[in-house]
Amino acid sequence: MFIWKAALRFLIEGRSQTLFIAVGIAIGISVLVFLNILITGLQQDLVNTTVGDSPHIVVTSREDPLQSLFNPEDDILILSRSGGMFDTSRPFNDWQYVMDQLGNRELLSAISPVAEGSGFISRGEKTVSIRARGVDLNRADGIYNVRDRLIDGDFVVGKNQVLVGIGLAEELDLTPGDLIRLSALEGNGGEPGPANPSIAGSYSVRGIFDLGSQAVNSSWVFISLEGGQSLYRLSDGVTSLELQLNDVFQAEELARNLEKSYPSLSWSSWEEENPDLLSALSSQSISSYVIQAFVLLAVALGISSVLAVSVMQKSKQIGILKALGISTAGVSRIFLIQGALLGLIGSILGSVIGGFLLWGFFTFTADETGEPLFPITFDPLVFIMAIAIATLAGMGAAAIPARRAAKLNTIEVIKNG
Amino acid sequence: MANLLSLVDINKIYGKKVQTHVLKNINLEYEKAEFTSIIGQSGSGKSTLLNILGSLDRPTSGRVYAEGKDLTTLNDDALAIFRNQMMGFIFQFHYLLPEFSALENVLIPHWLDRGSAQAEKVTLAKELLERVGVSERMNNRSTDLSGGQQQRVAIARALINRPKIILADEPTGNLDSESATQVNGLMREINQEFKTTFIIVTHDNHIAAQCDRVVEIKDGMIVQDYPTAEKTKQENWENLAPCYCLQKEGLVEWKQSN
Ligand SMILES: Nc1ncnc2c1ncn2[C@@H]1O[C@H](COP(=O)(O)OP(=O)(O)O)[C@@H](O)[C@H]1O
Ligand SMILES: [Mg+2]
Repeated sequence: MFIWKAALRFLIEGRSQTLFIAVGIAIGISVLVFLNILITGLQQDLVNTTVGDSPHIVVTSREDPLQSLFNPEDDILILSRSGGMFDTSRPFNDWQYVMDQLGNRELLSAISPVAEGSGFISRGEKTVSIRARGVDLNRADGIYNVRDRLIDGDFVVGKNQVLVGIGLAEELDLTPGDLIRLSALEGNGGEPGPANPSIAGSYSVRGIFDLGSQAVNSSWVFISLEGGQSLYRLSDGVTSLELQLNDVFQAEELARNLEKSYPSLSWSSWEEENPDLLSALSSQSISSYVIQAFVLLAVALGISSVLAVSVMQKSKQIGILKALGISTAGVSRIFLIQGALLGLIGSILGSVIGGFLLWGFFTFTADETGEPLFPITFDPLVFIMAIAIATLAGMGAAAIPARRAAKLNTIEVIKNG
Repeated sequence: MANLLSLVDINKIYGKKVQTHVLKNINLEYEKAEFTSIIGQSGSGKSTLLNILGSLDRPTSGRVYAEGKDLTTLNDDALAIFRNQMMGFIFQFHYLLPEFSALENVLIPHWLDRGSAQAEKVTLAKELLERVGVSERMNNRSTDLSGGQQQRVAIARALINRPKIILADEPTGNLDSESATQVNGLMREINQEFKTTFIIVTHDNHIAAQCDRVVEIKDGMIVQDYPTAEKTKQENWENLAPCYCLQKEGLVEWKQSN
């Protein structure tokens, strides 16, 4: 194609000019790539530290708690509405079936049924309010990573054997082997202990964990799933299923999809549960995109002005080509191709520079052990997108010069020798 | 059979507020294989006329016909295709593209026609360069060639699509006399060999005297249009040559015809 040949020759002939703008584009695109990968890595790290060791989707029964509260045989339940103990009133009975169904989803890394509720632990004179979580410990470990964060005792729970958080252990001065009294706050919302002997019992502390969060460490108590079920009178039911995904950022989408398949269940993702984190992430993303958009705009303006100059410089050639029979579209294309080529060459160069910038950044900010500040992934898609966008932007930027070139008057050019 | 190229009542007016009436009611016809010249003073409208003949410019009024087809009704792109296939151009300032080699420059009209080069056209381009005597330098950039060589490459370029008409605007105006003689001889040979119609704008009466037909234009009007064969050698000498000699010696501004 002559048009490609002409575009290439025009670029090559304008050596320093072409090189100059290509380097300019490269710098712009390298900033774009650097920023993009950095922000993505940063956000991933932030999300991982925040929700990495917690469920990404929590599945509960949608059944209206009020209905179960309005049990005509039991007035006490009605009283408890204001007590806010709704969770124990929403049994999730077909969880085993749902868990089996979800089991073969590749997106999921862990599924853990939970039978939980509020309660109290008392030891001697002291009573502390807690959250008793009945779990299959191995499954829960897939989400909370308890085994690695057990600081004392054994990785065991049972119907009367519990793991407690370090905050709780310190407050009640517990060590593995100690006996405690655990009562479920259920039904009457009232006093723990002797008032409701049927839902209180003696438990032994088997281990102490530190899950990194003050709130969790000072309130969570793991017991076995059966323990939780009987403590909160759930029979075979649970209160929720907790899911963890391989890719945190797919949680919301997966939750919405599953909601369509299982409309009777409520699927809530970490995004819904952490609106503050989410808005922090999105405002970070937006500011990064704004910077990237302006960088791209600067790149496009650079290409546009260089090509505008080139149209002036090549006006004689354009006039001659028109005399020799090039179409107006052909003239335009010569400059559109130049714009696209500048974008392409510049962005390939920019991707390489961006890669070096990232490498440099993480090499120089690494700690003594050589661990980077936070892990990043060189997603090839970022580079491919940057190159594609820069190429298109280059072509778009060439539109005005290309139009001007197409409109050049042959006679004027030929006459003025 | 219609004329190869004809102008009917052509007027060309430049400007809106201050109007310059450059061509006034021009009627002209050209036949196949004619070797003709257009002469006249500087500013008389020769280039304007040639550009309209070559469909590079549009008349203010009047019609341009090529083989019976009215070119004034065609749009720019249709005209471009027409020019590419029917016309060859040789300009005073050679106008080769400096980004391309001599051979590539010759091939450009063909590339514009076909997108890419056919092998037989590459062979033809090389033959043409041989013919105009620039074949040893065909891979040189056009900027590395002398003025005469560049103009001869431009002639080869004008021939590559085997056009029926070649329009030349002062083709030797920028050349030394030796190169000018070569270029003139070349154009004549091509005319005889390929039966290509030549319309050569010149104010060099030596060249005009060698043409089959002379059209003289003054103030935008045709004042003479005659075949040189009709006149005696003496008449042609008196009409064309002396003035050139005298003008060269600065004795007269320009010949006053009629
Ligand atoms: N674009 C234009 N605008 C106004 N006047 C023009 C333009 N082009 C040419 N002219 C005028 O038209 C006349 C003829 O010009 P031209 O055809 O170039 O003459 P020649 O080639 O015989 O020297 C000149 O007087 C010139 O000033
Ligand atoms: Mg002229």
